[in-house]
Amino acid sequence: MLSRVRGKWSYLAIAALLLFLVIIPFKWFLGQYTVILIFIGIHTMVTVGLCLLMGYTGQISLGQAAFYGLGAYFSAVLTKTHGFNPWLAMLVAALATGGFAYAIGFPIFRLRGNYLALATLGLGIIMAVLFRELDQFTGGPTGITGIPYLSIGGFTFDSPFRRYFLVWFFCLAVLLVSQNIVRSRTGRALRAVHGSESAAESVGINVAQFKVKVFVLSAVYASLAGSLYAHHITYVNPSPFGFLFSVMVVVMAVVGGLASVWGAIFGAATVRILSDEILLRFGEWDVIVYGLILVLVMVFMPRGLFVALKEAYERWRLTHRQRGAEA
Amino acid sequence: MSPEQFVDNLISGVAQGSVYALVGLGFTIIYTVTRIINFAQGEFVMLGGVFSFLLFSSVGLPLPLALLLAVLAATVVGAVLYLLAIRPARQASVISLIIITIGASTFIRGVVGQIWGKDYMPPLPHFSGDNQWLWIIGITLVVMVALHLFFSRTMMGKALKACSINRQAASLVGIDARSMAFTSFALAAALGAIGGAVITPLTAPHFRMGLTLGLKGFVAAAVGDFRSQVGTVVGGVILGIAEAMVVVLDWGPFASAYKDVIAMLVLLLVLFFRSSRGAAQEAAS
Amino acid sequence: MSGPILETRGVTKAFGGLVAVDNVDVGIEAGRVTAVIGPNGAGKTTLFNLITGVYPVSSGEIRFDGVPLDNMPPHKRAALGIARTFQNVLLFGNMTVLENVMSGQHPRSRYGFLEAALRLPKSRREEETITLNAIKYLNLVGLGLYAQRDALSLPLGQQKLLAIARALATEPKLLLLDEPGAGLNRLEKQELGDLIRRIREMGITTVLVEHDMDLVMGIAEWVIVLDSGRKIAEGTASQVQRDKRVIAAYLGEEVE
Repeated sequence: MLSRVRGKWSYLAIAALLLFLVIIPFKWFLGQYTVILIFIGIHTMVTVGLCLLMGYTGQISLGQAAFYGLGAYFSAVLTKTHGFNPWLAMLVAALATGGFAYAIGFPIFRLRGNYLALATLGLGIIMAVLFRELDQFTGGPTGITGIPYLSIGGFTFDSPFRRYFLVWFFCLAVLLVSQNIVRSRTGRALRAVHGSESAAESVGINVAQFKVKVFVLSAVYASLAGSLYAHHITYVNPSPFGFLFSVMVVVMAVVGGLASVWGAIFGAATVRILSDEILLRFGEWDVIVYGLILVLVMVFMPRGLFVALKEAYERWRLTHRQRGAEA
Repeated sequence: MSPEQFVDNLISGVAQGSVYALVGLGFTIIYTVTRIINFAQGEFVMLGGVFSFLLFSSVGLPLPLALLLAVLAATVVGAVLYLLAIRPARQASVISLIIITIGASTFIRGVVGQIWGKDYMPPLPHFSGDNQWLWIIGITLVVMVALHLFFSRTMMGKALKACSINRQAASLVGIDARSMAFTSFALAAALGAIGGAVITPLTAPHFRMGLTLGLKGFVAAAVGDFRSQVGTVVGGVILGIAEAMVVVLDWGPFASAYKDVIAMLVLLLVLFFRSSRGAAQEAAS
Repeated sequence: MSGPILETRGVTKAFGGLVAVDNVDVGIEAGRVTAVIGPNGAGKTTLFNLITGVYPVSSGEIRFDGVPLDNMPPHKRAALGIARTFQNVLLFGNMTVLENVMSGQHPRSRYGFLEAALRLPKSRREEETITLNAIKYLNLVGLGLYAQRDALSLPLGQQKLLAIARALATEPKLLLLDEPGAGLNRLEKQELGDLIRRIREMGITTVLVEHDMDLVMGIAEWVIVLDSGRKIAEGTASQVQRDKRVIAAYLGEEVE
C-alpha cells in the first residue's frame, strides 16, 4: 500500500506544508489570498467528513449543507441572541448537530444503502425551509447579523489574518484526528466494512453502528466548520446553506479522493479556486462544471482525482527507478 | 371550506400524486434493472416541462405535437445519459454510479439554467377547458395501462421484467444486460417527461423544478420499496393527497410553507417501518 | 464440560415457499472436528448462516455454550466465540495480509473512536498487542512471510488460509469452515488437514462443510449428513460412508 512507501519523505512534506501555510497570510507572500484560504480551510473540514463517509461506508450524503448551516445558526443564535460564550456555543452546536445526525442515521443505516443519499437531500431541503421560515429564531431570509468574533482572553480574532490561523488550526486538528482514526482499530473496522460487510460482521464489527458513527463525525466536522464560518463573516442567512453547497462538497470530496484524509485539502482548494475563476469569467457556469467534474472523475477515476494522481505519480516513480537501475 | 373546494383539493392532490407516481416509476424501473438510483430522474421531468414550453411557445407547434416531441426529446436525453455517463463506467461501484447521476443531474440543470435562464417560464395553457387535474389523472392511467401491457405482452417488456427479477438468470437465457439498462433509462426518462409535460399548465416550468419533483418521486418509489410498481403508484398518490390536505388545513406546523416537508415525513415513516423488517432480510441478500 | 458446545433444536429456515433447513437437531461436541456433508442444496451453508446469525431462524432454537442465541446479531455472536470462513473467501481487499488478521482481533480489543482520535496510550498499547497476536496467527497458518502483501495478491489457496487466520484471530471457541478445501490441490488439502488438527490441539471446536470425502475421512471425528434441508444420518466417518440413506441421497435415488 502507498502508505508504506513514504516514511521520512512524508515528515518532510508535512513540515513543508506547515511552513507554507504559516507564511501565506503575510503581505509579502500571498497575503491577498488570505480570505480565500480561510474558506478553503473551512470547506476542507466539511469535505474530510464526507470523504470518510463516502470512502468507508459507500454512502453519499447530499445534506452536509444542513449540518454546516446548523453549526452556523446555532453559533449565531446562541452568541448573538442569548449571549453565550462563543466557544461554548460552538461546542453545543457540534453536540446538537451530532445528536441530530445520530437520530437520523440510526434508522437509515440499517436499510439498503441507497436511502441515505435522498434522505439527506430531503434533510437539506427541510433545513433550508426551516432556516427561512422559523424567522423568530433564525431571522428569516435576512438572517442574523452582528455575530461576535471568537476570542481567547483578551485576544480577539477580529482580522482575516488572525482568523486564518484560527481556522487552519481547527482544520489541521480535524485532519490529524481523522488520520489517527483511519490508522487505528476503528479505521481498520471501517475499511473492513468497506471491503466486505458480511466478513466484517463475522469478526465482530457492528457494521450499522460504525456507519452511523462516521455519519455523526461528518456532521460534527460540518458543524464546527459552520460555527467558524459564522464567526468569520459575522452574519448568517439561509442562502449559503442550500443544495448547491451540498453538491459542491460532494465535488470537493470526489476531487480529493473518497477515502482520503489529506486529499480533502486538495479537493477543497481545487474546487474553490476553480469556481471563483469560472464565476469571474463565465458567470454561472460553475454548476455545469461541477456536474462535468463529477461525471468525468467518477467514470475514469472512481477513487477520486487526488488518489488517481498519487497512484500515477507512484507508477511513474517505479518505472523511473527501474530505468535508473538498468542504466 | 365548502365540500366542492374540498373535493377539488382532493382531486388536485390525486393528480399531483399521479405525477409523483410517474416520476417514481422511473426510479423503480431503473433500480430494479440496474440497481442504480438515478438522480437525474427529476431532471427528465424538468426537461419534459421545459421542452414542452419551448416547442409550444417559441417554436409555435400545436400543443399535442409539442408535448409528444418534448417527451421524445427527453427520452433521447435519457438514452444519451446512459450511453455517455453510465455505460462507460465499467465495473463502477454503486456509489460511483450514483455520484455520476448526481453529476449528470447537476450538469443538465446547469445547462438549462444557463441557456434558458433562471426565471420561471409562463405555464402552458390547460389541455382543454378548465380541468387539468382530470387530464393528468387520465393520462397517468393510460400510461399505467400501457406500461402493464408493455411488461406483460411485449418481448422487450418481459425481458426487462426478467432482468429485474434475476439478472444472472436473465443473461443466461440470452438477455443482454446492457441493452436492458439502456431501455430502462429511456423508459424512465419518458415517464418522467410525461409527468413534467402534463403538469406544466399548473406549475410554471423552471430549471430547478426537477429537484423537488425528483425527491417526491423518490419517496413514492420508496413506498414501493423500489421493487413494486403498484406500491410506487400508491405511494405517489398518498403523498399527493397528504400534501393537498396540508394546504387545506394551513395551520400552525402544517402551514402550506411546509408542504415540501410532508414528503420527508412520509419518507421517515417508510424508513421506520422498513428498518424493523428490513435489517434481517437485508443480511440475507 | 457437560452438554454440546453448540446445539440446534428443531431449527427450520424457510425462504418464502422454499424450506432450506427442515427441523434439524444437531449437537456439536466441544473439542471435536465435525463435518457436515450432503449433496448440493442440502442446506449446509444455510445452517452455518443460521448459526452465525446472518439469517434469523423461522422456528427452532440454537444454543451456544448453553446460551440461546435467538435474535443475537452476527457481530455479537462473533464476540461470544463463534467464528467462520466463507465459501467465497471474502477477504478485505483494501488491506494487507497482516491487516486482515488484525481485523480479526476486533472483538478482543476495546479502544474506540475517542482513544484512536487522540492516540491515547491505551490505544497504542492495544495496537501492539493486536499486531503481535495477528503475527502469531499468521505464522500458525504459514503465511508469516506475506504479512505486508496486499491480501488479494495471494493465490486462492493462500487466501483461504488467510481467511482461517483471520477467523482464528477472533479467539473463538467454535470455528465454522465453509468449504475450506474447495479449489485447493492435493498438497494444499493435506496442509489444510494438518492445520485443522493443529486448531483442534488448541482446544477449538471445528465444524466444516466439505465435499472432499478424503479430507473428511482424514480429519472428521463425527459426520452429519444433510439432504434437502433434513438431517438424514450422523456418526463416525466410516459409519456414515456405509449408510444406505447417505449413498442414496448422493446418487439421487428414492429410499424405500
